[in-house]
Amino acid sequence: MTPLLQIDDLVVDYASGGRTVRALDGAALTVEAGETVGVVGESGSGKSTLGSAIGGLLPGAAKVVSGAVRVDGDDVNSLRPTQLRALRRERLGYVFQEPIGSLDPTMRVGKQVELALRGRGTKADVLPHLERVRLRDPERVARSYPHQLSGGMAQRVAIALAMAGKPEILIADEPTAALDSQIREEVLGVIFSLAAESGTTILWLSHDLPAVAKRCSRVVVMYGGRVVESGSAGEVLAAPRHPYTAALVRAVPGELAEGERLVPIPGQPPVLDGPSEGCAFAPRCPDADDACAASRPPLVSVEQRDVLCHLAEETVGAGR
Amino acid sequence: MRLFTWWLRRALSAVVTLFLVSILIFAASRLMPGGFAEVVLGPFATPEQKAEVAAKYGLDESIVVQYWLWLTTALTGDFGISMISGEPVTTEFGLRLPVTAQLTLFGVVAAILIGVPLGVLTAVRAGGRRGGAALGRLASGLGVSVPEFVLGSIVVFLFSRYALGLTVGGYVPFGEDPGGNLRSMLLPAAVLSVFVVAVTARTTRDAVLNVLVEPYITAAIARGESPGSIVVRHVLRNASIPVVTVLTTVTAYLLGGAVIIEYLFNLPGVGTYIVQAVGRRDYAVVQAGVLLAAVVFIVMNMLTDAAAGVLDPRFGSAAKGRKR
Repeated sequence: MTPLLQIDDLVVDYASGGRTVRALDGAALTVEAGETVGVVGESGSGKSTLGSAIGGLLPGAAKVVSGAVRVDGDDVNSLRPTQLRALRRERLGYVFQEPIGSLDPTMRVGKQVELALRGRGTKADVLPHLERVRLRDPERVARSYPHQLSGGMAQRVAIALAMAGKPEILIADEPTAALDSQIREEVLGVIFSLAAESGTTILWLSHDLPAVAKRCSRVVVMYGGRVVESGSAGEVLAAPRHPYTAALVRAVPGELAEGERLVPIPGQPPVLDGPSEGCAFAPRCPDADDACAASRPPLVSVEQRDVLCHLAEETVGAGR
Repeated sequence: MRLFTWWLRRALSAVVTLFLVSILIFAASRLMPGGFAEVVLGPFATPEQKAEVAAKYGLDESIVVQYWLWLTTALTGDFGISMISGEPVTTEFGLRLPVTAQLTLFGVVAAILIGVPLGVLTAVRAGGRRGGAALGRLASGLGVSVPEFVLGSIVVFLFSRYALGLTVGGYVPFGEDPGGNLRSMLLPAAVLSVFVVAVTARTTRDAVLNVLVEPYITAAIARGESPGSIVVRHVLRNASIPVVTVLTTVTAYLLGGAVIIEYLFNLPGVGTYIVQAVGRRDYAVVQAGVLLAAVVFIVMNMLTDAAAGVLDPRFGSAAKGRKR
């Protein structure tokens, strides 16, 4: 059976001011229908590029060097423009980081919902769609312009727009990063319950490992443009196999007993200009040996966990 | 209510501006070396003759008294008489305004019908293939930077040297001979339009490019909206404010008189008239002309603000006194 989403060895370069930056360095990910996947990584890890690549939304400066993105078996990069639009319209939904910025400032909210519903609903369906995202006064919101809404309200509207077509995959790129902490949970609740209702698969891109692990069935960790670890959320958090994941877990406040120290990750995330020679994490890795810097780690599957590390097998028992 | 007080404030500040402009222009016209008497009587006039002319037109009074007299009569709608022709200033301007208005109309229509679509098109194509964008930039760059007198002179030369069907000069009012009027106005309007169209196209292009990188455009693409729908529904209105601003500015500028074009094509417009009046020290004409230009600019500015309020709801709330 074809998986809902299959990303094979995807390599994406950005041309910026005469030099090339490699955003994805052979990222691989397979997602089955109905999963809720949290993609975790620092800024620059390539998670946003990965998310954009799924809908063929990479900016003009980006170039897919090799690899493929398949949605239901369709290669996104070889679709004709009309097919690509149909894919975005029928099967994908996107929620972005900036809630008010992703709504047209000169169009009333109701009209924007109506536009998103075109072909699958009428003006009468606008209010129910706003109610579904638990907006308290949908009629007032429908009459409002985006600048008259709070960030949380605007993000609910954006969710309503993205979910209007009952997409197969919802890609939420840091959907709560711009929101106040007390409304983050509410907004996430809306996303997850709506997706569950319409059978939508969630791909949540975030830098917050514990938050992702709490809601998602699977956690995918990205580093240096590759997926370095992927597995069921609880297990990844409890027993990380990749040294980077382990370091992330140790750097999370709140997971520690009182008096214990947070352990920062030394060094800086890499900026690649071509394929990484060895493991991208090697310079910062406490366990790295000569092989780590010299050759690219292969994907190792251990106990239903995919790990991209030379030491994966050894670290199994190490109890990280 | 807040909107009303906002407009009231704008109107009051417009009146104050006009008042200050009138003082400035009155003072400036009197500070020009050589007065009306010298211009009329020539270099060999005796002081007695000069004093006689000055007394006849009230120019022997102090400048403050002169200004007061001018201001109080101007407020009743009487802007005095042209000291050269003896005709009321309003009559003189009434003869020339149609020419200027017609040129302005042609220029603005060309800007809207050609400049705006050209700007949108080059912006949307900017990411696309081949040199279309570079060509558009080159064309608008040339249009903006080639001086009117160069292009105008070339056109005048070509059309007077070879019989190409259109006449240079020989202006006839539209009311007398519509066909002849259009034949004589087409060339100057075309030369004028090159500049106006280029400025409008460039502004439109920049505005559209700025909108195209906004996150709501990415969001619309991500929802699978078609490029045409995105331009029509999301881009045009959001890019419109700079375009409206440049259109109203161009309108105001053209209504003040396209001096060079009028000279080249021998058109009796407002611009040439004011320049001539300055040379002849025809004070009443200069004062009325500059004041007219100021009124046009102020009105156009207010129109721009009103349009911005309509086009972008965020400006509307700013006008209502609410902070963004």
